[in-house]
Amino acid sequence: MQQSTLDEAVVGKPEEKAPQPHQIVGADGKATRDKPWIIRTYAGHSSAKASNELYRSNLSRGQTGLSIAFDLATQCGYDSDDSIARPEVGKVGVPINSLDDFHVLFDQIPIEEMNTSMTINGTAMWLLSLYVALARERGVDLKKLAGTTQNDLIKEYLARGTYIFPPDASLRIIAEMYEFCLEEIPNWNASNICSYHLQEAGATPVQELSFALANAIGLLDLLKKRGKFTTRQFEKAVGRISFFVNAGMRFVEEMCKMRAFAELWTEITRERYGVTDERYTRFRYGVQVNSLGLTEVQPENNAWRILIEALGVTLSRDARCRALQLPAWNEALSLPRPWDQQWSLRLQQIFAYETDLLEYPDLFTGSAVIESKVNALKTQAKEEIDRILGMGGVVGAIENGYMKSALVRSMSERVSRINNGEQVVVGLNKWTDGIPSPLVGGDDGGLFILDDSATSDTLDNLEKVRRNRDPERVKAAIAALKDAAHSGDSMMEPSIECALARVTTGEWAHALRQVFGEYRPSTGVDGQRLGLTGNRVDALRARIDALVDTLGHRPRIVVGKPGLDGHSNGAEVIAVSARHVGFDVIYSGIRLSAEEIVRSAVEEGADLIGASVLSGSHVELAAQIMGGLKAEGADQAIKVVVGGIIPIPDIAKLQALGVMKVFTPSDYDLLDIMESVVGLLEEQP
Amino acid sequence: MTRHLLPRSPAVTPAELAEQALTRARHPVARLVSLAEDGRSGASAIYDEAMAVLEADAERRNHTARVIGVTGSPGSGKSSLLSRVANAMVAADPDLTVAVVAVDPSSPSSGGALLGDRTRMVVDTAQNRIYFRSQASATALGGLAPTTFQVCRALSLIFKCVIVETVGVGQSEADVRHLADRVFLVVAPLSGDEIQYLKAGIIEVPDAFVVNKSDEPAATRTYHQLRGSLWLARPSDAHDIPIYRTSAKTGRGIDELARDFLTIVTAENATPVRERAPHFFTAWVRDEWGRVGARHLAEQLGGARAFLATQNGFASARRSFDASIRAALHG
Repeated sequence: MQQSTLDEAVVGKPEEKAPQPHQIVGADGKATRDKPWIIRTYAGHSSAKASNELYRSNLSRGQTGLSIAFDLATQCGYDSDDSIARPEVGKVGVPINSLDDFHVLFDQIPIEEMNTSMTINGTAMWLLSLYVALARERGVDLKKLAGTTQNDLIKEYLARGTYIFPPDASLRIIAEMYEFCLEEIPNWNASNICSYHLQEAGATPVQELSFALANAIGLLDLLKKRGKFTTRQFEKAVGRISFFVNAGMRFVEEMCKMRAFAELWTEITRERYGVTDERYTRFRYGVQVNSLGLTEVQPENNAWRILIEALGVTLSRDARCRALQLPAWNEALSLPRPWDQQWSLRLQQIFAYETDLLEYPDLFTGSAVIESKVNALKTQAKEEIDRILGMGGVVGAIENGYMKSALVRSMSERVSRINNGEQVVVGLNKWTDGIPSPLVGGDDGGLFILDDSATSDTLDNLEKVRRNRDPERVKAAIAALKDAAHSGDSMMEPSIECALARVTTGEWAHALRQVFGEYRPSTGVDGQRLGLTGNRVDALRARIDALVDTLGHRPRIVVGKPGLDGHSNGAEVIAVSARHVGFDVIYSGIRLSAEEIVRSAVEEGADLIGASVLSGSHVELAAQIMGGLKAEGADQAIKVVVGGIIPIPDIAKLQALGVMKVFTPSDYDLLDIMESVVGLLEEQP
Repeated sequence: MTRHLLPRSPAVTPAELAEQALTRARHPVARLVSLAEDGRSGASAIYDEAMAVLEADAERRNHTARVIGVTGSPGSGKSSLLSRVANAMVAADPDLTVAVVAVDPSSPSSGGALLGDRTRMVVDTAQNRIYFRSQASATALGGLAPTTFQVCRALSLIFKCVIVETVGVGQSEADVRHLADRVFLVVAPLSGDEIQYLKAGIIEVPDAFVVNKSDEPAATRTYHQLRGSLWLARPSDAHDIPIYRTSAKTGRGIDELARDFLTIVTAENATPVRERAPHFFTAWVRDEWGRVGARHLAEQLGGARAFLATQNGFASARRSFDASIRAALHG
């Protein structure tokens, strides 16, 4: 084969020869090269205007799609001026309050040429309505819109936490979006089945496969049961199901996972749903590679990790992603700066355009090793899918806490393995000595510094919208939305009318909260056991027993997740380990206001509050907690520690507020954390 | 560190702590409860002193509280239900104040506990009309913690209604029976086996049943099975035993249950919680001193009721009992 390539080079007319097995055959029967996957960067921050500038600059650098990050207020259905939303505005994404913000966000961006992915779930129907309304006001044909609303509520209940409504209502909303999109916006993915966040929450490859596929089955069963589609339309709807997955450091296993995913999906679509058109049985997926394995220590190492993680989802042509997003090297430190995103973008471009990867057919077909691994994963995943279906499917397995508990257990096991050195993380638990990184040496310390003035822009625009709109039209639009929600009619068109009438995000969500209620799922921490044992655990238990005598009660801690950030894994592992070493622990799940956390700590007579914040609003939230304790007269009695993605300059700010101890991702050893907390309680007040 | 028995900054006396707690300010109430739970020597005298102030105040105001027991297995959804009911109660009655004490099982290996699905109880943060406190049972099975009685007694002098929530079956329901004016058993929609299990014992304890999660399909069957079982197990009063059907999810039955709780709160002839002291004192003696202690209490001291009448409070009664039995055993 080597020879023939050389010959071709000499002859100079390869296209006239019959394609070889190592070549990709195009539609014209000639050898060709694959088109690269869609290259994206997950981005958005501060305000609609700042994000618009960022998108336009990313597009000018060769990015081929948009991936929009919304702030937590938008994701959870609050206006930017709502008191629970204020600390979060513009922190982890762009704030969107109304259609006017969308006009700014997409200014000078031709949406008819874009593939736009929106990471939006609880308010997905609203954001899609805004996009449709934008197209209508711009006169763009909806058939030309392409993209995705993430809209997977199952994984929100399990891992990510931006759900609003109970499962039944959430699934109805998703189904209505599929029913609307299928004919109206045929190139729109109404939802993505996500396994990405499950891996971030600790899922094993088998759990990723089985939970995601059971989720897809739940959705398709529902679409079928609702009976709004003809057989032909239903087949097309099956073809619209797409996935959003994760890829970690064990890239060979990850590649096998992707092949197993594709094979299982084809089997399910054929066997369970009788789809015969081959186009609609294909496994389509996008990827964001793993952030869980990125470290705060020696952060430059993350650049290599990101490259290796990208291999698992690109190497094998039979299971290659359709779109790829890479995180930035400094994600464990703060939000990425534009340069950090550009660096990740360049990695994709080098990989897609400088290497020969896209010239070959599948490299692994026929490999006995790969085939065996794929089959093993498939067998285990099928067993787990059957177990979940036996519980009444994903909704049953969420309501009975099965899936959540399984994830908390996997995460606890992973943390234990890193703790005891069984799982090597370079720079973190092995080869920890290193030369300080010059990458964090600049004026900004390698961190993204948010411009606080952007929030006032957002609030001013919100005020303006409320002032200038037609109140009668707003009232009628909201009433029509609630009517549809009550009657069971589709809420899509009423939502689009809300968008056009300049209803705000908070108003849309509030109207539906009134109809459907709000949901609080199981926290998954009940009944969990940790594998941690040994002298250090025994010593901790003895110290805590001694504290029972000096304090007059078993030491009590409140583990709190203040604000809207729903990434609860860290807090849950801390709650489980604290109980494991002998604390009485109060943990009430996510999305509590600082006021609620203070209230429970005071009423419960707690000794310490441990607050976990990953959204970047740690300073604001800590200030609220400290102020609340003071107002209750309990600031002397209750100590406060904070954990999360805390940039180093902020540690001093937190300490100045009275926070006794700050834990960052480099404090990964659970027993270190527990010893430090016990130490705080042993000190004189 | 040694946690001081009373707040130091600003320093307060037991009487001052009691006065502050009467305003229902959260931190003083919490400190008072912690005092009732405090196992250190020295705590009990301060607790009794604060309690004397509270008792005197209650007498002056003619204040009597009602205690409602709510019990049920961990999956029955009691916490969410109670949060809805407590909120509905204070919404319906502007003068009502409610304290909830939720008892959770402890881990047998570490002694630690995961407490409370402290579902949000907030209604009126300004007026402090709802107070919520978790207790670890100190046993793995649930039931009342050793100090639950003293905690409830303190809270009953401050709040008009005390709701005690317990986990577990068997012994614990019997115990809560001695503490509460009325006992409600919350069940989730059940399988047939579980109904059999209910029939084996606890069906005799509660004054009323609540079939929670009544939005689930199995709930109707459970209701009828329970009704049927009551005819067999308690033929004399089966007719009068209410079975509520509730759903924290849809809100069904919440107002009705809250109304019933309110009638309990406003009923005449309440038993003040202190009247219940003899049972819990006897239980404490048996816990601490076994059969020997129980005999000493009955034969030498004339029983718990008579003995308590000669003492300055529950906690100091424990101290003098210790002294008395030690003297008897060693003398």
